[in-house]
Amino acid sequence: MQTVETEVLVVGGGATGVGVARDAAMRGFATVLVERKDLAEGTTGRYHGLLHSGGRYAVKDPRAARECAAENVILRRVAADCIEDTGGLFVATPWDDPDFGDRFLAGCAATGVPVEEMEVAEALKREPAVNPGITRAFLVADASMDSWKLVWACARSAEQHGASILTYRQVTDVLRAGDEVAGVVVVDSRTGEQTTIHARMTVNATGAWAGKLAGLAGCRPVDVIPGKGIMIAMNHRIVNTVVNRCTMPSDGDIIVPIRTVSVVGTTDSPVIDPDQLEVTQAEVDHMLDEGEKLVPGFRQARALRVWAGARPLFGDRSPGDDDTRDITRAHALIDHAERDGITGFVTITGGKATTFRLMAEETVDLVARTLDPGNERPCRTAVELLPDSQSEAYYSVGSRLAQREAHLQDDQLVCECELVSRRDLEETLARRPTANIDDVRRALRLGMGPCQGGFCTYRATGILHRQERLDQSTANGALLDFLQERWKGVHPILYGDQLRQARLDDWLYQGLMDVEHLPDPAHP
Amino acid sequence: MSGNGRDGEVVVIGIGLAGLVAGLRLAEAGRSVRLLAKGVGSTHLSGGTVDVLGYAPARVLCPAGALPEFVAAHPDHPYARIGTEVVGAAIEWLKGRMDNPRYVGDLSRNFLLPTALGVAKPSAVAPQTMAGGDVTRGGGFAIVGLPGLKDFYPGMVAGNLASAVGVAGEVIEARPVEVDVALDGRADVGPLAYAGRLDDPAFRAQLAARLKGRLGEDEVVGMPAVLGLADAEQVWEELEARIGRPVFEIPTLPPSVPGIRLYRSLLGALRRAGVRVAIGGEVVGAEIDGTRVTGVYTDAANGARFHPAAGVVLASGGWAAGGLEMDSHWGLREPILGLPVTAVPEGVPRFRPGYFDHHPLARTGVAVDGSLRPVDGDGRVVFTNVRVAGATLAGAEPWKEKSGDGLSLSTGYHAAMSLLAEEG
Repeated sequence: MQTVETEVLVVGGGATGVGVARDAAMRGFATVLVERKDLAEGTTGRYHGLLHSGGRYAVKDPRAARECAAENVILRRVAADCIEDTGGLFVATPWDDPDFGDRFLAGCAATGVPVEEMEVAEALKREPAVNPGITRAFLVADASMDSWKLVWACARSAEQHGASILTYRQVTDVLRAGDEVAGVVVVDSRTGEQTTIHARMTVNATGAWAGKLAGLAGCRPVDVIPGKGIMIAMNHRIVNTVVNRCTMPSDGDIIVPIRTVSVVGTTDSPVIDPDQLEVTQAEVDHMLDEGEKLVPGFRQARALRVWAGARPLFGDRSPGDDDTRDITRAHALIDHAERDGITGFVTITGGKATTFRLMAEETVDLVARTLDPGNERPCRTAVELLPDSQSEAYYSVGSRLAQREAHLQDDQLVCECELVSRRDLEETLARRPTANIDDVRRALRLGMGPCQGGFCTYRATGILHRQERLDQSTANGALLDFLQERWKGVHPILYGDQLRQARLDDWLYQGLMDVEHLPDPAHP
Repeated sequence: MSGNGRDGEVVVIGIGLAGLVAGLRLAEAGRSVRLLAKGVGSTHLSGGTVDVLGYAPARVLCPAGALPEFVAAHPDHPYARIGTEVVGAAIEWLKGRMDNPRYVGDLSRNFLLPTALGVAKPSAVAPQTMAGGDVTRGGGFAIVGLPGLKDFYPGMVAGNLASAVGVAGEVIEARPVEVDVALDGRADVGPLAYAGRLDDPAFRAQLAARLKGRLGEDEVVGMPAVLGLADAEQVWEELEARIGRPVFEIPTLPPSVPGIRLYRSLLGALRRAGVRVAIGGEVVGAEIDGTRVTGVYTDAANGARFHPAAGVVLASGGWAAGGLEMDSHWGLREPILGLPVTAVPEGVPRFRPGYFDHHPLARTGVAVDGSLRPVDGDGRVVFTNVRVAGATLAGAEPWKEKSGDGLSLSTGYHAAMSLLAEEG
């Protein structure tokens, strides 16, 4: 068994975890991050991609609104490459009370969310697909944010500041020395190797899974309710501005244009286990119906994929307190020394992608106060630009096409839908060797377009097999795993042209290549 | 006669294998045929082989032997509807019409032909340019990779092939051989572009020269299926002669060169037989008189047009081709004639969570009687002068059974014979 010593150990490789790791490393702490799967494999990689303006919470959750408004300004500067400046509209559809708009404006004013009311005609000119029956429209600073790019950029920056990012490491035990948490034991899920990591401070940044880790650490229960939200990606940019229903937060109240698709979301239902998020037919129908209200004809568009994420909803209750307050979307930082008398352990949960940086800042402030009292180590994440965002230019939807056109003759196109080139793929593999095509997908969007991997799964397997010198059985496993992974997100929404596409993919893999009879005893 | 009876025109809808076969068979029998298609058919996706029955669900080595039991177990399967003797007749008929490349094989045994993943897939009939890849009796194989071709990975083909064995346990050895050929600096070359280059004798000579010294004495040489579009027999024979080794083709991802050859051969025969072919004429509606379809409407750039029909062969494809559709409210329909589509039973999911599971939607489609006339839920014939062929039919799971080509061929053939018998 290997042993690693560090000052700060972060458990969880979502936006919050990498944000904490980067912030801690930038303040000079020896930092290690462990993630049980790949980075952004959990909630961060499974949301609709909205950079909140704060408008969504202006009426219901003022603290969350205020935080979002402030972070929106900061992230637009430090993470520009991850953000497309779409702007956002809040519109009152025929199903919404136009008078809510007045409460909305007042809420925005009270929480510092920039907003201006627009003429309906002007809003419809900007977004012609939106329901022409809208009665009011408000423009806010919503944007779309690529959470994968964000997480990779934070992780890379953290590494540049000396942090170690260890993926596919599952925590199997939390080390206790009396009332102190002294680190964790992790097992490498790919090699089976165990590592003991000793840390002066362990940060529980596992989001919807925070209760589980706190339980392993022996703390009083941390009450995180996983709130399931489903989202459906439609195959093109139905709108180019984020479009929200101007009403209290509800199911299916938003369409986010992000990268090549538009995402409609979302639902909110409590679940027991954040690893068991089943998408039901009723939920799909509900999203499509709500999408239809915002954009008539929505159902005629092609649904590419459905997925579910687990929001970490934190409602801490003192012993004997039976009240369940309306759970805020703001975050919660728990100092277990203060709360449970257990030192060396803090939990950061709740919150949302938009406020990940702030959550990290507050967490590392607490870590720094505890580990290094009296020594001021200021947070710099609000001013220091992320890698790839140095030019302070926003991402634009045509940028990949421009890259592609520069190399039309001298580079191969592996994924036509998302314009992923062979060079992109080989460089990504060189940087982060893997035998898992889903890891490549998160880094490059490979297989995320209309054909959902129909052509590129085979090609990526061939290239992976060759470049990584995988044995044949591992390569076959990668192919079969990715086919199953893609199927999981398409079968609940297969209708219209996407059903056609899926049957075409079956023809290729089963009819033409006979993939189901690959000589791999580990798979069907 | 005005659109009815012996002398009226038969309208074939669809230009995949089923439509091509039905149209040609009718024209050969002297019928006046019009073939309407919205675009090219699914031949362009097909590997060019005729897979009749590959798995039932165990691997089938002799389709003639396996078919009787298979249809007994699947009474709703199109093979059961038309009778298995039709399959053999249709195969012999097709082989008589394919001359470049010629087709070989029959129902007495399946070839086991390597796919682009190196799986040995059972196919009853194959182009001569592919049949040499049969691994039934083991052997040594060199799998050739070409630069810039992203739809074929020789290392994977060889890797998987090497872990297979012949039917009596014979050893299979396989290794990749990557050859360098001049591509004018292009890094991304598709199968069709390569086929075009191989039509050029100078390029063939260059390829052969670079391959020649790198092959083992007993090795059979597997090439991606790009051995020319215009004259595949010539390209194949010349390559074999130049390198002195047997050569065979392995289908790549689409567009499929062998599939396009099959399409072009049959389309040429159709045209020579006098069939009027309109590609780009999507059928958007039909005129109906009781239990007969009296004509169909196409919608093309020059406007809607009515085509009177004495008979109709509906070969518009299945879910993949758009011949069957499901809307966002999960309603199933056959969009051209509005034929009844068999339903997934109430309470049963359309799809199951495992990609390789049997999905209940897979066997849905248009149900037919033994003459391939469409029937409703009570078994009543919907239109007496309509025949349904190919992937539109209910009852099969072609990609799992490896039966899609055989189904399209034999039902296309049977649809024609049935119309001829009724009206002759």
